[in-house]
Amino acid sequence: MTLAARPAGAMTATALASFAASRRRQAVIAVAGLTLLCLLLTIVAIGQGAFAIAPGRVAEILGTRLFGDAAELQGRDALVVLNIRLPRVLLGLLVGAALAVSGALMQGLFRNPLADPGLVGVSAGAGLAAAATIVLGDRLLAGMAMKLPFAALPFGAFCGGLISTLTLYLIATRQGRTSVATMLLAGVALGALAGALTGLLAFLSDDRQLRDLTFWSMGSLGGASWTKLFVIAPIVLPLLLAVPLLARGLNGLMLGEAEAYHLGIPVQRIKALAIVLVAISVGASVAAAGVIGFVGIVVPHLIRLAIGPDHRLLLPLSALGGATLLVAADIVARMIVAPAELPIGIVTAALGAPFFLWLLLRRASTLDG
Amino acid sequence: MPSLRTRFASLRSRPQHRELGAAIGLTLLAATGLIAPATIGGALAQTPERIVVAGGVITEVLYALGLEGKIVGVDTTSQFPAEALRDKPSIGYVRALSAEGVLSLKPSLVIAVEGAGPPDAVSLLNEAGLKLARISEDNSPEGVVTKIEAIGAVAGAAEPAKRLAQQTKARFDELATLRTALPAKKKVLFVLSLQNGRVLVGGRNSSADSIIAMAGGVNVAAAVEGYKPMTDEAILAAAPDVVLMMRNSGGHNATPEELFAMPAFAQTPAAAGKSLVRMDALYLLGFGPRTPAAARDLMAELYPDAKIPPLKTAAATAQ
Amino acid sequence: MADLTPIATGRNLRFLAGGRALVADASLDLLPGTTTILIGPNGAGKSTLLKLMTGELKPAGGEVLLDGASLHAIPAWRLACQRAVMAQHARLAFPFTVYEVARLGVDGVGRALPRQRREAVVGECLAAAGVIELASRNYQTLSGGEQQRVQFARVLCQLEAGQSVSARQALFLDEPIASLDLCHQLALLDMARTIAARGVAVLVVLHDINLALTYADKLVVMDRGQIVAQGEPSATLDDALLQNVFKVDLSLSRAPAAGLPFLLPQQHRPSAA
Repeated sequence: MTLAARPAGAMTATALASFAASRRRQAVIAVAGLTLLCLLLTIVAIGQGAFAIAPGRVAEILGTRLFGDAAELQGRDALVVLNIRLPRVLLGLLVGAALAVSGALMQGLFRNPLADPGLVGVSAGAGLAAAATIVLGDRLLAGMAMKLPFAALPFGAFCGGLISTLTLYLIATRQGRTSVATMLLAGVALGALAGALTGLLAFLSDDRQLRDLTFWSMGSLGGASWTKLFVIAPIVLPLLLAVPLLARGLNGLMLGEAEAYHLGIPVQRIKALAIVLVAISVGASVAAAGVIGFVGIVVPHLIRLAIGPDHRLLLPLSALGGATLLVAADIVARMIVAPAELPIGIVTAALGAPFFLWLLLRRASTLDG
Repeated sequence: MPSLRTRFASLRSRPQHRELGAAIGLTLLAATGLIAPATIGGALAQTPERIVVAGGVITEVLYALGLEGKIVGVDTTSQFPAEALRDKPSIGYVRALSAEGVLSLKPSLVIAVEGAGPPDAVSLLNEAGLKLARISEDNSPEGVVTKIEAIGAVAGAAEPAKRLAQQTKARFDELATLRTALPAKKKVLFVLSLQNGRVLVGGRNSSADSIIAMAGGVNVAAAVEGYKPMTDEAILAAAPDVVLMMRNSGGHNATPEELFAMPAFAQTPAAAGKSLVRMDALYLLGFGPRTPAAARDLMAELYPDAKIPPLKTAAATAQ
Repeated sequence: MADLTPIATGRNLRFLAGGRALVADASLDLLPGTTTILIGPNGAGKSTLLKLMTGELKPAGGEVLLDGASLHAIPAWRLACQRAVMAQHARLAFPFTVYEVARLGVDGVGRALPRQRREAVVGECLAAAGVIELASRNYQTLSGGEQQRVQFARVLCQLEAGQSVSARQALFLDEPIASLDLCHQLALLDMARTIAARGVAVLVVLHDINLALTYADKLVVMDRGQIVAQGEPSATLDDALLQNVFKVDLSLSRAPAAGLPFLLPQQHRPSAA
């Protein structure tokens, strides 16, 4: 190596190596700790609920389902564990991970710590489509003497989210280059338009539809079922699997698009991939569980405060953290007013916000220079 | 910083924040409204031991039938009688039930209004093999009578329910007779709320519209559908003779002076006669066994000079 | 150095913005082992020409060749192994550490290297740029000059890592010393020349004519989008050019009035090179 014009002191080189090693150790601890916490909360979530079942019986039901004769499983406790709690917890893990990773991706892509998945128009479009389904669905079908199928709302929300993101993407893309700034501004305009139309629908709605809209917009994992899970999982998993692919590119993008290009990062491909994956997985999450705010913005921040902004750690840890937060919030949502339940969006905000504020106060100096 | 503005703009534009207030204001009325065909579970000879109720009117009827001892859970629209929500566990809002929450009460029967939901939770309850009876919601006199019979049939109290239904029907008939004797019909405006001077009125197909009709009034807000804001000028043009409002138990109640000082109301016939009628929301808009009496009371308030007599048919039992 | 065919070539480059030609008919060869310095008044098109040469901008006319191949036909990852670029400003949105910023240079390009080697490269380059003691600091809390040196370290990392793929490399520096104090200005430019000495073609945009004259093997002067002169420094810049291009009535190599202190970076050069 002829590079070192000034010889690095032996001490400094050692210090650097130990610094790198300590960062790695920190990362291992964070991954291990969060995995453990997530597992623990998953077990608690499956074991606890309004319907009292002894832990031993829960284990027995799960064991029988996995290794024994499933036909032996009769009774309501088996149904509660296998068809209510299990799909619900799994949906919570999946939706939580998807929302948090999407948030981290958007913040990286827009180079803005305040970005959330809503910026690519998913929420606005999904919200509008959901409102349209709730308010107009019955009316349109009334003449045909049929009821709105169960799947109409999630399907409508998913399509609405996708259409609005696609619109934004087309508006912001000129000659094969997507302008993030244009997308942001167009997102504001499209959001306002969707908000106006949603408001119009709210005006047209009767009081019951208005209540439905309100509850939908606060989110819930209450509707979880295996069918829902099997539909959502293949849509959301590609996002989680693409994380390692996107992490390095997003790190490069932190320097700016030109610098990322100079570093050999396929900027446009990363942008398109991230936007599409976020749109479909957030669309699917919203369709399955309504609008659950806060996870997408708070979880990546918590992780960043804990282990720094390197996306190779930030993205997988955000997935773990989002899954953990949502499962924890769902336990609270189910238990605190049992046998009723709170909308989960209220719980995520109530749990996440004070913790987040505390962290900000404690570590405010590390956020900006 | 444009991004910050964006963030707040997107917050502002989300519908839930704007509509939350209005939605909460409408909570009490949420159990009434939509009309759907009845799907009634088979009649039972015996009362199931553990009943979970989703729908305020069902709770009211079960209490009227003296079956409160069998109820193990009610939804948040079960506001009458007041002890229902005080004594029984709440399963949440009728449209946002939790399947596991309902199951945890180990019910032998769930009676729910047609609009109870969400659909996923209801299908899970079906899957769990729960006996689930759906009661249609209909605010017409015939609908109320059918409703009482249907609730009694699924709750294993068909006979007492039939008696209660017949009584209620007789009282509705008596009310109809009273209506025919009325002088020129009064024009009534139902005001749900006066938030920030914005007047939310009960239009056509609202529950308020039904009770006004039963009490022999004319709903002047029939031009709008459901509960909607009405402009000051439209109120002036509608020229109501009487303004009908709900009586809030704890909250602020606008005095007639305050109300009729508002520009929208100042020039109306109602203001001239200081005609503001306040009634208990649950009594007025419950659409259960008490409805004939509620309509009679409203009629007496609307036509103070007509000397409306109390209903002669015996009141519902077990009150 | 045996092979003296140009590493990067710009041929008749033209770039338009808002109907105005920011670069018009510029041709430029960057030779291995040569430090080329681009000077000119504000708005002459120096940065635009540099961006055309790096591929960040697409020319409206003409073409850029890198090692004989058309720049835009080279895949991005391969390009990153052949040339490194340090832009004027680089702000970060999130609190990366200095170490992490420098590591960005090897993360993609040095993917094939073992981890120990990658870490060693980062350490060496941080030391070479004189910022190793800042390694654990938050990049956002550094001064502008320190940030510039960290970016330089990152660019060094990229070149070093890219060497395993392509031995023929180019380095582009767009006003790399704008926020540095004199000591670090000289150190950075020394470093650039050291890298050139290894066979890398270096192109630097500078404002300071003195420093340009001191460090350039080849001087390129631009004015209003056009290259008005290029060649060996002493043969390229003369009083007429100073007058016409830079609008200053100054003469080269004339000592100031007696008693007026002055400082020339040229005094530094022999000791460093």
